[in-house]
Amino acid sequence: MIPLAHLGHWLWTFYVVPVLIVVAGIIYSTRAANKSEREEAEARPTKKEARH
Amino acid sequence: MSLLPALPEAHALVARQDLPIPAWLFAWAASIVLIVSFFALSAAWRRPIFEDQRWRPLSGGPSRALVSPLVQVFCGLVGVLLLAFSVYAGLHGTEAPDRNFALTFVFVTCWLGFPFFSAIFGDLFRPFNPWRAVGRGCGAALAALGARRRAKLAYPRRLGRWPAAIGLLAVVWLEVVYGASGGIAVGLDPHSLAVAICVYSAYTLAMMALFGVEEWCETGEIFSVYFGMFSQLGFLGVRDGRLGRRRPLAAAGAWATIPGSAAVVIASIASTSFDGAQEGAFKSAIEKVFEWLTEVGFGPTAGLRLSNTIFMALCFVGVALVFDLGLRGMESIPGAPSRAKLRTAFTHTLIPIALAYLIAHYFSLFVFQEQAQFTYLLSDPLGTGHTDLFGTAEAGIDFALLGSRTIWYVQVGALVAGHVLGLTLAHDRALTIWSDPRRATRSQYWMLAVMVAFTCFGLYLLSAGNG
Repeated sequence: MIPLAHLGHWLWTFYVVPVLIVVAGIIYSTRAANKSEREEAEARPTKKEARH
Repeated sequence: MSLLPALPEAHALVARQDLPIPAWLFAWAASIVLIVSFFALSAAWRRPIFEDQRWRPLSGGPSRALVSPLVQVFCGLVGVLLLAFSVYAGLHGTEAPDRNFALTFVFVTCWLGFPFFSAIFGDLFRPFNPWRAVGRGCGAALAALGARRRAKLAYPRRLGRWPAAIGLLAVVWLEVVYGASGGIAVGLDPHSLAVAICVYSAYTLAMMALFGVEEWCETGEIFSVYFGMFSQLGFLGVRDGRLGRRRPLAAAGAWATIPGSAAVVIASIASTSFDGAQEGAFKSAIEKVFEWLTEVGFGPTAGLRLSNTIFMALCFVGVALVFDLGLRGMESIPGAPSRAKLRTAFTHTLIPIALAYLIAHYFSLFVFQEQAQFTYLLSDPLGTGHTDLFGTAEAGIDFALLGSRTIWYVQVGALVAGHVLGLTLAHDRALTIWSDPRRATRSQYWMLAVMVAFTCFGLYLLSAGNG
């Protein structure tokens, strides 16, 4: 429980929220991009397969 | 806390504004503007345009006259006379900081005026730089007397702009930490300022004699480097002795190639942040450190100065860390150069942010104090109460000129515009590093996070200070 009188001390958390949302978005999209790059690389035939 | 000396009023901070929505909602709205701008840039900005400054010489007599040797000498003389008068006013004028010409002239008219106007018109300080004028004058006099020129020392390239970055922090420290018991707009007393100017002048002229006037102005002279940094955003520039028009913001891209440039921009953002936070966001933390320092045996003044110095240093480290996180993020994208190269490539993207912080924190101080500068401080520069040179000695500051809401909207607007410009410069530079636009966009996710963090931090400092 945070006493109401001290609520002002926690006001900074409202300013951190947009930063956290953007960082979460970056992590999510970076993971998604890495995953799709990996899948693309796996789907591409290797040199050995291409020779056959 | 009874031992705590009166702190100076944080600059540019006014009474709490009566806003229609909570201040933190502005931070959310500003973040949304940045995110939308980011995606608009990714979709519509497909090739770099700021690599070419598109510098075109201005034709016509007035533009040639502006860079003529006669005008240069005249401007240099004006600079030297104003510096000498500031020292005189500091030494012989009143000790009341608000009635003495020197403090407002140095810390408001010059320290804030040159960045504001240079960001539009280019390097305005260079012709008025008093130390450059004296250095060049001495060089010309020695040459006329036929004195043999002694070989100058080669300036260590690794040192780069570090002397200017450290000096920039020292100037702000002198203003807001050393003079922290003054009690008005600027805390330093006029006598200390005059002594500091004399010491700095001797140091600067010695460095110019050692390394050369232009070399030192480019790297170590605090004011040339600091004002010159903002002038890179302006639309006018001198090339080969000719005044020309260039694409606004474009000159900034080449500015950071000298080592230590990042430290100068970071020092600018950090010192402004500290000045804003000193009486707001950091107030209770500074007080706690101050109490602890006095308990362990420091005197009140030393304790206050040390606690403020610690928080100023923390601001510098914090801003540097946020920028470094952005660089680390970019480094993880395939095809990225080393982090040192990324730092050089993206440092200029922080210049609009430094300017935005400056406008947000000092815009109202500038508007109010300039009224004093051009009325009673001009008519009675020594503050004796017996002089009235222009008949304006009895004038005052019209504080109704700007309402608290107007100030707040200018602050928010400056912060958002500065960060959008920073994002634009970063996106443009990324397109030159990553030939694949998708990778360029991915690299800029991290700069988006940096910009959102700086925007929210800036707005938090303003709202905490205003509260």
